[in-house]
Formats: sequence, C-alpha cells, structure tokens
Amino acid sequence: MNATPLKVLVVDDEPPIRKLLRMGLGTQGFQTIDAPNGKAAIELMVEQPDLVILDLGLPDVPGLELLRQIRARREDLPIVVLSSRGDEAAKVEALDLGADDYVTKPFGMEELLARMRAALRHQLQVHGDRPIFRLGDLSVDLVRRIVKLRDQKVRLSPKEYELLRLLVHNAGKVLTHKFLLRELWSTPIDAQYLRVYVRQLRQKIEPDPTRPQYILTETGIGYRLRAPD
Amino acid sequence: MAASLCYNFFFLPPLYTFTITDPTNFAAFFFFTVIAIVVSNLAARVRTLAVAAMARARTTDALYAFSRKLAGVGTLDDVLWATAYQAALMLKVRVVLLLPGDGSIVVKAGYPPEDVLDQADLAAATWAWEHNRPAGRGSDTLPGAKRLFLPMRTGRGAIGIVGIDSDKAGPLLTPDQRRLLDALIDQAALAIERVYLVDDLDQAKRRAEADRLRSALLTSISHDLKTPLAAILGAAGTLRGFARKLDDEGKVDLLSTIIEESERLNRFIANLLDMTRLEAGSIKLNTSPQDIGEIVGTALERASKMLARHNIEVEIVADLPMLELDPVLFEQALFNLLDNAAKYAPPETTVRVQAQQEENTVELRVLDEGAGIPPDEIDLIFDKFHRARKLDEVRAGTGLGLAISRGFIEAMGGSITAANRSDRSGAVFTITLSIPKPAERLDTAA
Repeated sequence: MNATPLKVLVVDDEPPIRKLLRMGLGTQGFQTIDAPNGKAAIELMVEQPDLVILDLGLPDVPGLELLRQIRARREDLPIVVLSSRGDEAAKVEALDLGADDYVTKPFGMEELLARMRAALRHQLQVHGDRPIFRLGDLSVDLVRRIVKLRDQKVRLSPKEYELLRLLVHNAGKVLTHKFLLRELWSTPIDAQYLRVYVRQLRQKIEPDPTRPQYILTETGIGYRLRAPD
Repeated sequence: MAASLCYNFFFLPPLYTFTITDPTNFAAFFFFTVIAIVVSNLAARVRTLAVAAMARARTTDALYAFSRKLAGVGTLDDVLWATAYQAALMLKVRVVLLLPGDGSIVVKAGYPPEDVLDQADLAAATWAWEHNRPAGRGSDTLPGAKRLFLPMRTGRGAIGIVGIDSDKAGPLLTPDQRRLLDALIDQAALAIERVYLVDDLDQAKRRAEADRLRSALLTSISHDLKTPLAAILGAAGTLRGFARKLDDEGKVDLLSTIIEESERLNRFIANLLDMTRLEAGSIKLNTSPQDIGEIVGTALERASKMLARHNIEVEIVADLPMLELDPVLFEQALFNLLDNAAKYAPPETTVRVQAQQEENTVELRVLDEGAGIPPDEIDLIFDKFHRARKLDEVRAGTGLGLAISRGFIEAMGGSITAANRSDRSGAVFTITLSIPKPAERLDTAA
C-alpha cells in the first residue's frame, strides 16, 4: 500500500453508518471523509479521494444521478455502491453507469473491505496482473495461457479461456452480464449463451460444479470470480 | 229452456203445438221452466268456480315451484334471471329487473334480455325506486312510460324494481294477474334479500379471517422481531458494561450472538417485505432463460451457513433445458425451502436437491430426513403463519418462508407441493416448472 493513507469519501445520510465506516475503515489504514448528501459529496471531490462509497438512497439527489456526476469528474475513481436488497435493477444500472461494485445493506465490514480491495486492485498493484493467478486448486498463467486444476492441465475452448481471462483480470469484482457479453462477442447476443459458457467453464475448473466456489453467480446481475485470499 | 219447450210441445194438450190451454198445465210449465233456469245457472256457477279453482291451483303450483327454484339458486344473477323468466312466462309480458348500483338504479336482468331503458322508462323506474311506489304505464305517475314499474319490497324496504310491458292493447294486467305478479315479486324480493344476507355473512367471515391473520401477524412480528433484538441488546449491553470481566472467549461469543441474531432479524424482515410485496401484488417479474443448476448453486451457497451441519447432495440431470424464470425470486423460493429443511431436519442428516426433466416440465425436489409433515398439515403447510405443531419452541420460524416460496413459484407460472417421503421419514417439496416451447429454446452449442 502507498505510504500516504488512501482517502475514502463516504456518502451516506445515516450518521451511524458513517461512523461505522469511519471506524471500520480506519482500522484498515484508510482515511475517511464523509458527506451526508449529494451536495456535500460533490464539494468534497476537491479533496481528491481514492475511492467513493456511495449510498444510492440520498435525501437530495438520486444516487444514480450523483454517481453519474462523480463519474463525469473522475473517470478512473473506484466507486462502491451501497444499495438495498431486492433492487437488482438499480444495482445493474449503477454498474452500467460505471460503479465498480456494490454491497447490499445490511453488510459486513469484511464484505465491504473485499469489494473495496477488488475495486482498488489496479491502483494497489501498480505492476499490473501477476503472471500466474492462483485461487484454491486453480492456477491461470495469463502469459502462457495455461490453466491448471490440481496441477492438471485443463483444456478450454477459446471463448471459455477468454471468459476466464476476463474474470481473472477482474478477480473479486462483479462483472455484469452486459459487460461480459459485450467483451466476449462483437455482435449483440442473448444472455443465455453466456450462461452456457459459464456452465461449461465451471464443469472444467470447479472442484464441485454443482456448488461453485470460484465463479460465483451474482443473481440477476452477473458473475464474480472469488478473490484469492 | 229447450226441455220446457219440448215438454210443452209433446206432452201438454193440445199436443204438437207450443200453446198451453189448461191453466194447471200452465202453472206446471211455469214452475218447470223457472226451476230449469235456476238449476242451469247454478251448474254454470259451479263450473266457473271449478275452472277458477283449477287456475288458482295451477298458479299456486307454479308459485310454489318458483319459490323452490329460488331457494335452490345461490347467486344474485340466477335469482334475477329466474324471476324475470317466471314472470314473463306466467303473465305473458316482457320483464326487466332493476337493482340499485352506481348511485342510481340499473337494469340487471330481463326476459327477453334487455340491457337499456329509454329516458321515459328510466325516469319512471327511478321515480318508483325513490318513492317506493308504482310508476309508469297504467299508474298515476308518468303513465307515458312504455313499462309499468313496481317496487320489490322486503321487510327492510324496497330492494329493486320490476318493469313489465306487453304488445297487448288496453290494461297491462288483469286484477288476477296483478295479484300473481305481486306474489312473484314478493318471493323474488325475499330471495334477493337472502342472497344479500349470504354475501354479508361471507364478508363478515372474511373480515373475521383477516382479523385472525392480522393478530397472528402481530403476534408473529412482535415475537420474531423482539427475540433477536433482545439477544442483540443484551449481548451489546453486556459487552459495554462488563468488558473487563469477560475473557476473550466470552467476548467473541457475545459478538457472534450479535451477528447471528442480526442476520436472523434481517432474514425475517426480508420475509416480511417479500410477503408484503406478494400481498400487494407488486411483484415485478424479470424473467429470462435460466440454468436451474446455477440457481441451485447460489441458493445452496446462501444457505451454506444454516446447513453447515447437514450433508448436502445435489443431483441435477445434465443438459436440463433453460427455463423462463426470475432468477432472484426463484433463488429466494429455493432458499426458503432449504431454510425449512435446515430447521426441521436434525443435524448430520442429508438434504438432497434433485432436478430432472419430465415430459414437458422440469421437477426440482428438496428432500430432507426430518420427521416429515403431520398428514393433516400437508395442505396447510404453505399457508401464511402456519408452523408445524409442537416445534415452535425449537425452531424460531416465521411461518412465512413456505408461503413466500409458493407465492413466488406461482407468480412464475410454476407449482409447488409438499409430501412425505415414501422411502424413509422426511419431507419432500416438489417445484414443477413448464419447459418453454422448443422454438424458444437454445441449442447448447459450444
């Protein structure tokens, strides 16, 4: 991690949540600045935060609108959205608008930290992807394009490999159906093709494909490769 | 009279003339004639009376049959139709029946069928309704109307209006017919009132049922909200007040309690929200072709904590077709079944999830190795706030999970059933989902 602590802008109208995040993130070496509404959040953008935690339910501006404004100011700023359960459409929209990830309220601090780490990964690892990605029994050599499960080579079709590469490249981060479809196919195609490839890939790399531990389904949203510990 | 003349012609001298010469004979002829006239008049009277009696008997029979028919029909429409038909048949007139509705009085039935009245008739009908007196053709009020309108009355006042007309010139009804119509109307009014009373009774029953549910809801909510809250408050208070007297293990224990009880509270609130959405009919389906196996995987992952002490076995037939589902709702429905299995099957037993294709459906089963469902509760198990008997103290269920499962599955066009296992003790829940037509399906090409 950098010598200077990373600065996190917390935008939430609930004081207990802001306090919790200030204390919780403080223990992990983050410095927090917080805003109870959209107006204060935009003003605090001059402090150049390294990451934003944004509650979608704000009193003054719609959360998605604020997200758009923040994204317009800083294209590369990692944003993690806090949203409520059952509102998958809003989560997908936030991700489409450029949020890096989301956490559903109520959330555990560990879950939030994992999402933040994934969103910050490219900042934290200035040298880019490690040449060999390891997750449990799975190893992926992105340079030599070799995938192994328990040291046994796994044969993947080009599309399956491409899907896995995208997941590895964004390990720990949720990838929407829309994003994956756009990256994997040049022409618009039905989402069920993606499901078929995910199923096939799981058959090849998951220790128990009926209960996936590596490629996680974010129901109604997309997929997430579990981040290595 | 003919007999008297014959008697005169043939028997009284002079014979073969109508002349009477003898005064005695004259007297006899006179009495004979008078008696004949009286007797014949009496006979005619008797016959008229007999005919009238028979007509009355037929009318009474018809009325009796009508009243029996009315007693047998249950709906308002049936009562109205039977009344219109019977009146039209017995009086040889056209009949319309009007009941209050939409702030005024509207045609509800007719024989022959009639939907609308012209302005004059409507005015007469409305007047008859508002004043509870006859109006229209042949009456004192608005006699220009085509029909005669009579109120149908019960002990509680006017209940509707009957309107009649016919193509016959002159008076619409004879006094007899009018009496008959009154009898028909009285019976119809009673039958209509009976239907209303039954409706009122049904509504009262439904209100009572709603009240019962509401009080069950309150009991359930206060219990299910307060229990975890009490544990959380207690644990947090202990930690703040006595932190120095607690060893590390004790602290971790209390912290775990806080987390676990919060999660339980969260699940309960989520259930309440789901149930509210179902009841309000505000479930928005977001369906797309889904892989059942994938959803089973995510539901099991979510339920992994509560099923940590159970064995899980998944048997999903390879190459199941994709199904049109809302993945979020389906996962929740399945999660609730797994949650139920975790509550009612003891630890170290196996919870099995099976999926296989039948002819036009996919069947997904969740089997547990618990005590099973008491046979008389199988039909109730999906009802709101139903909890299996005698187990309340052990499992703090909300009684909502299975009701939500059923609501979600049915919203997606599927069905869900509960039964006991035939191979051993335990419950089996079966979700049946139809397979989209082949044209809509995707070839699973690599």
